[in-house]
Amino acid sequence: MNTCASGSTTPSRRLAPGLQTLLAIGAAMVASAGLWGCGKQETPAPDKKATSGPVAQDAPGEKVLKIAVVPKGTTHDFWKSIHAGAIKAQRELGNVEVTFRGPEREDDRQQQVNLVQNLTSSGTSAIVLAPLDETALAGPVRQATAAGIPVVIIDSGLKAQVGKDFVSFIATDNYKGGAMAGEKMVELVGGKGKVLILRYQEGSASTAQREQGFIDAVGKAGGIELVDPKRYAGATRATAQEAAENLLLAGNDYAGIYCPNESSTFGMLLAIRGKGLAGKVKFVGFDASPGLVEALGKGEIDALVVQNPMRMGYLGVMTAARHIRGEKVEELIDTGVVLITKDTMNTPESKELLAPDLESYLGGR
Amino acid sequence: MSDQSGTIPGAAGKLLHMIGPVLGLVLVIAIFAAIPPHHGITLLQLQTILVHTVGVGIVALGMTVVIAGGGIDLSVGSTVALCGVVAAVVLDRGHGLPAAISAAIFTGVLCGAYNGLLITLLRLPPFIATLGTLGFYRGVAKWIAGSSPVSPDTLYGLDALVLPTPPAEFSWLGVAPSVWLMLILACAVAITIRATVFGRRVLAVGGNETAARYAGISLARVKVQSYILLGGFAGLAGVLQMARLTQGDPTVSAGLELDVIAAVVIGGASLAGGSASIAGTLCGALMMAYLVNRCTLHEWQQFVQQMIVGHIIIAAVAFDLLRRRRG
Repeated sequence: MNTCASGSTTPSRRLAPGLQTLLAIGAAMVASAGLWGCGKQETPAPDKKATSGPVAQDAPGEKVLKIAVVPKGTTHDFWKSIHAGAIKAQRELGNVEVTFRGPEREDDRQQQVNLVQNLTSSGTSAIVLAPLDETALAGPVRQATAAGIPVVIIDSGLKAQVGKDFVSFIATDNYKGGAMAGEKMVELVGGKGKVLILRYQEGSASTAQREQGFIDAVGKAGGIELVDPKRYAGATRATAQEAAENLLLAGNDYAGIYCPNESSTFGMLLAIRGKGLAGKVKFVGFDASPGLVEALGKGEIDALVVQNPMRMGYLGVMTAARHIRGEKVEELIDTGVVLITKDTMNTPESKELLAPDLESYLGGR
Repeated sequence: MSDQSGTIPGAAGKLLHMIGPVLGLVLVIAIFAAIPPHHGITLLQLQTILVHTVGVGIVALGMTVVIAGGGIDLSVGSTVALCGVVAAVVLDRGHGLPAAISAAIFTGVLCGAYNGLLITLLRLPPFIATLGTLGFYRGVAKWIAGSSPVSPDTLYGLDALVLPTPPAEFSWLGVAPSVWLMLILACAVAITIRATVFGRRVLAVGGNETAARYAGISLARVKVQSYILLGGFAGLAGVLQMARLTQGDPTVSAGLELDVIAAVVIGGASLAGGSASIAGTLCGALMMAYLVNRCTLHEWQQFVQQMIVGHIIIAAVAFDLLRRRRG
């Protein structure tokens, strides 16, 4: 690349006013961003001490536990629910300080590995981790355990030994969730026709199980032709949307469609809306977000399999804290899955899963 | 080494350079058509492929100018995300569509100006300066959006203009209005490069910086202007991306810069600067969207597609080098 010369005038004289312009633009950008950013912070953060119960009294002398929660990403609503659950546990426990930090994109394994390694070397009391990759994170988790930092695995499996390499595995039974979606699909399409599956991402264990559970359940029923072109939605809603649009061009006569997570379901929803298929094709998705819940109410989505991420975050922090205090903890905890349809979406139980009150925990963040 | 400024003799070589990318595109289409079961192309497929070309295509138009001037911009993916978020936030606050589009394009222009000033005033290599702002703009996007997608209540019908099938009142256009917008911008940029003083200066600076300086061209001004142009285009692409998703997603378009640079390179531009072909760039962008579509249609897995796209870039540049040596 060429370097730029400033011509015949002396560089220092030309640089000074130029630099001022540069700084002014930089400052303007930061300031304008700040204006927008500040709007988000209108709700003041609730006082942690005020809302916590009697157990919250900081026992003098007892060390405050620093528990780091490491999600797969931070932008999906699912992870916000996990965060809210972790904050709930923090309020109940009192002498715990929860930090929440993850890679910003859900396919950045390297960033998550680095994050776990940095936490290991920075004196954290415990790590609650949702591993992006079942193998890539196994090494860093063993290192943390070896360094005396207990690790609780949530959401997705890890190729390591529970009880030895990490303390406990707290997750949705993803295979069961996929199978429930498959059984519902069989019922929706009346046991016949073509059913399309858009996969989520290569190497993601939890969604691979949801895909397999669905495929097995549909296969067991017989009569349905499962179309699995092994196309992947990719990490964002935009990549999912393009993949879905291309898939719907390759074939159009589907009786039903299934997607195994929030971003793939959202991308597919946009694609079927664009093709005028929304409400006509039977559509079963996984996870919930405001956009998906709205589509469920409008009949564009027939069923959503939802997990209980808040409970997952809550139990993750609780289990880590109990383990540190020397209590015995369960090695495997299933947080449950529920299939929600338009008819059941307004029950109190469903509402708590579809639209948990995150504001009361995360308000002001 | 600059074709457009007419320093290479040989009409045949020049013609080959101009139609090379088009030939490449035709070749790719022919190869896919020859593979059984011989999928034809329907109108809807064409509409979809073109809509998938728009995001990369519009940014690549601006990138062609920057690369022609001897620069590069790695921050465009982040700029697109930032501008999309800005548009969504402005809409969310009820300021209406014109304000949202203006704010997004203005944000893109600011990003471009900042890139250009870092490169000319601090004399940073463009690769380094924009590697830095790649992270900075992404961070600002997440900050403004509060790390989660911003969904405005209404997009005032903008979302219908970026769907593969145009809405009824625009069905006479044949393809989505966003595709026409890309084509109009392409014509404008092509004219700018060929027929304006700015375009000539960009090519002169990219072709031989020292000679351009002795000819009295202000290098800094030309460079900053070309980055501003690219920033504005990225801002517009951000609005369209936001409309496609119906929300401003701060994580979107990560890695877009590589697709954009690939489109420009497949289109026959040299990363050393001094040459540009807008038609070639559009062919490059179109070729990539076409490949993804065909691989899906043929039910090939994703890795096959990535292996093919990689070698199309290699083949395009190898062909171009061969032609240059002969010319």
